Amino acid sequence: MQPGTYISGAGHLLLIGWAALAGFFDAPPPPPVTTTNVSVMTGQEFAALTNQPVETPPDAISEQPQAPDTPEATESPAAPAPETAPDVAAAPDVTETPPPDDAPDVSEVQPIPRAEVTPDAPEAPDQPDTVPGASLVIGDSDTPTPRSVPRIAPEAAPEPSPEAEIDEIVREATRSDDAEQAPDPVEDEPETAPEAAATETVTEAEEETGGTQISTLAPAQSRRPPQRPNRPEPTPAAQPVEETPEVRETPAAEEPAPQEAEPETPPSDAINDALNEALAGGGADTDAPAPAPSGPPMSRGEKDALRVSVQRCWNVGSLSSEALRVTVVVGVSMQQNGQIVQGSIRQIEASGGSGAAAKQAFEAARRAIIRCGASGFPLPAEKYSQWREIEMVFNPEGMRLR
Amino acid sequence: MTIARLFLAALLALPIAPALAQDGPLRIDITEGVIEPLPIAVPTFVAENAEAQQLAQQLAQVVVDDLVGTGLFRQIPQEAFISNITSFDSPVQYADWKAINAQGLVTGSVNVGSGGRVNVKFRLFDVFAETTLGDGLQLGGSTDAWRRIAHKVADQVYSRITGEDGYFDSRVVFVSEDGPKNARQKRLAVMDQDGANVAYLTSSDSIVLAPRFSPTGNQVLYTSYETGFPKIYVLDVGTVQRRVLADQPGTMTFAPRFAPNGRTVVFSLSQGGNTDLYSLDIGGGSPRRLTDAPSIETAPSFSPDGNQIVFESDRSGAPQLYIMPAAGGEPRRISNGAGRYGTPVWSPRGDLIAFTKQNQGRFHIGVMRTDGSEEVLLTASFLDEGPTWSPNGRVIMFTRETSGAGGAPALYSVDITGRNLKKIPTPSLASDPAWSPLLP
Repeated sequence: MQPGTYISGAGHLLLIGWAALAGFFDAPPPPPVTTTNVSVMTGQEFAALTNQPVETPPDAISEQPQAPDTPEATESPAAPAPETAPDVAAAPDVTETPPPDDAPDVSEVQPIPRAEVTPDAPEAPDQPDTVPGASLVIGDSDTPTPRSVPRIAPEAAPEPSPEAEIDEIVREATRSDDAEQAPDPVEDEPETAPEAAATETVTEAEEETGGTQISTLAPAQSRRPPQRPNRPEPTPAAQPVEETPEVRETPAAEEPAPQEAEPETPPSDAINDALNEALAGGGADTDAPAPAPSGPPMSRGEKDALRVSVQRCWNVGSLSSEALRVTVVVGVSMQQNGQIVQGSIRQIEASGGSGAAAKQAFEAARRAIIRCGASGFPLPAEKYSQWREIEMVFNPEGMRLR
Repeated sequence: MTIARLFLAALLALPIAPALAQDGPLRIDITEGVIEPLPIAVPTFVAENAEAQQLAQQLAQVVVDDLVGTGLFRQIPQEAFISNITSFDSPVQYADWKAINAQGLVTGSVNVGSGGRVNVKFRLFDVFAETTLGDGLQLGGSTDAWRRIAHKVADQVYSRITGEDGYFDSRVVFVSEDGPKNARQKRLAVMDQDGANVAYLTSSDSIVLAPRFSPTGNQVLYTSYETGFPKIYVLDVGTVQRRVLADQPGTMTFAPRFAPNGRTVVFSLSQGGNTDLYSLDIGGGSPRRLTDAPSIETAPSFSPDGNQIVFESDRSGAPQLYIMPAAGGEPRRISNGAGRYGTPVWSPRGDLIAFTKQNQGRFHIGVMRTDGSEEVLLTASFLDEGPTWSPNGRVIMFTRETSGAGGAPALYSVDITGRNLKKIPTPSLASDPAWSPLLP
């Protein structure tokens, strides 16, 4: 048993005692509800108020002619002919339409030998900037506005500056000439920013519902409250005198209880902190001795860092709707430097779809692990025994609705 | 209350024990990902002889256009390539393609033999897994069929990556329109789904409406005003021969659609001021009545299994969507939102129904489950109408007409997620699209 365990146990006991004896679970009365009366008007009414001419669209949905509205149509029904008979001067150029060209013959091709892998990967040339813009702008015309944010990500991100390199970690550019006076010279580092993204797909109809330019009015990122609001003071009558002072010495906002430290979606700052913390932990230190199997467990931040580093490469955009219903569990063996053991990625189980859909889901998961694990995952080397084998559960349920 | 507190306190004590040890592999849950186009590299196919030089470039370009046009893939420009594919059977240098983040790689070769026969071979690679996705395939055909071969290649690539069938090797029949708005000339036309190879099926002597492909794609049903009022015709796409269906004096017939078996046609018949749904054998015979109501029933569409029909009816006072058995029977209303619903079309997958909706002066193309739930409006404009499904049920094509004196119709498509809304290129104004099945 380690001191941390004793401290944790003592803390839990204190919390349990306080919860059992104090009025902790007495829910505060709900805040009063403010009611505001609103009225609804149609677009025509609004236009009438503002004296704007409104062009009335066609009044019916129909692929059929208007003829059904003529009940007296018996011998000579009102022919819904065109208003003016078209004067067809040009000879119709109808010819025997060739059916689609003959179906191609299909046969399999012999497999090819495997390439010899060169030890050093060549440097990637500069890619043209194909990062799309981040604005969801509603056009006034009926011509659809190019929908310029094809990327959906857990966190919305604005369009990065042209000079910025795409990276999950936001970093300002550093230049060596800026730091000439500094005792420790720094190397030039480019500015980095995450790729532009929205959090969910917005259809053209949903854009219109807003009735305005979403991107210009909506905040690019929701702002979290700076701290939790203080809990209401327990009523003095319900407080045992001896227990209360100890609880009050530890405000919930500063040191939340373990159960409170689980944000469902960590803010980007927390993600960056977790990544930086884990990276600083020397996850790629291959010379470190192998940790004992009984080492400390992975902290929540370390797990989050791993999770975040995988999910930013998990692209489900090209999966079929059936594959998006498949939850696949992928096993992977890890090296001590945080890189995956080549050929160790395997499907452990899949549920929610056919074998073909599971195969697509597994391949997307495998691409994510390989791509983002190429240079090693941010994992603490001293806890290698804890992450020597990893099982990743890829559940796209939340992504299906985006 | 005290018991509840003690119970909850005991629950709080539980996390202490598991925190001390971790049995088995570390397990993490990945529930958040990204949705973005998959970067894919399609180098120009290798020309195996001089005659194939031009085709090699054209084939690769059509494959790229098909894939990128879905919105699910992003082309990596050739200028970014580190490796060049100079031989179809050369080993792939995966590191070169990883370095430019190509997650899919399509390689191919083209050979034009004597007699103008084209042979195309291709392979698809999962670059980061350093493996092929499926086996390599060889496709052969006449030189004239090179676009179909390219579409077949794109269909294979699409299918192997997404897990669903492709839709590139398919056609669209539509109404081509020319002339001013008050004297528009209309004729039936057919084209590849990407707008290429347009051919005309009828003259512009009379107004034509609502063409619909047969399940095999070799016949088209449509409505014509050739006799002065609407009648249904069936046309053979290959020979352009046509004949009238359900030619009963004193009636008007319109809104036809094939049953999945290809032998039965369901349509609207208007007689004595009442419009109901009827079915008819394509070979002839007497129409059989499916509905009997004083309201207007129209725009029928079969479920893929042929057992049910979704249609539009104003029996409740405004056009709404209903489902009934294919042989007729008590309809069940499925649309319940505000506004007017029409032109329902059952998805080839069977899970969704596309429709036109008019609400608050705007038209929408939308989809809903077959029980009417989970309605999603995908588009909004002055006039959107007449959805038709791609063969794989992933894309919807429809007519969008702009407002004003110069308003004109055009064809648009949108993914069922509402993404990738785009205009389909046509040589003239166009409306009333109907997608064919995937060609054999």
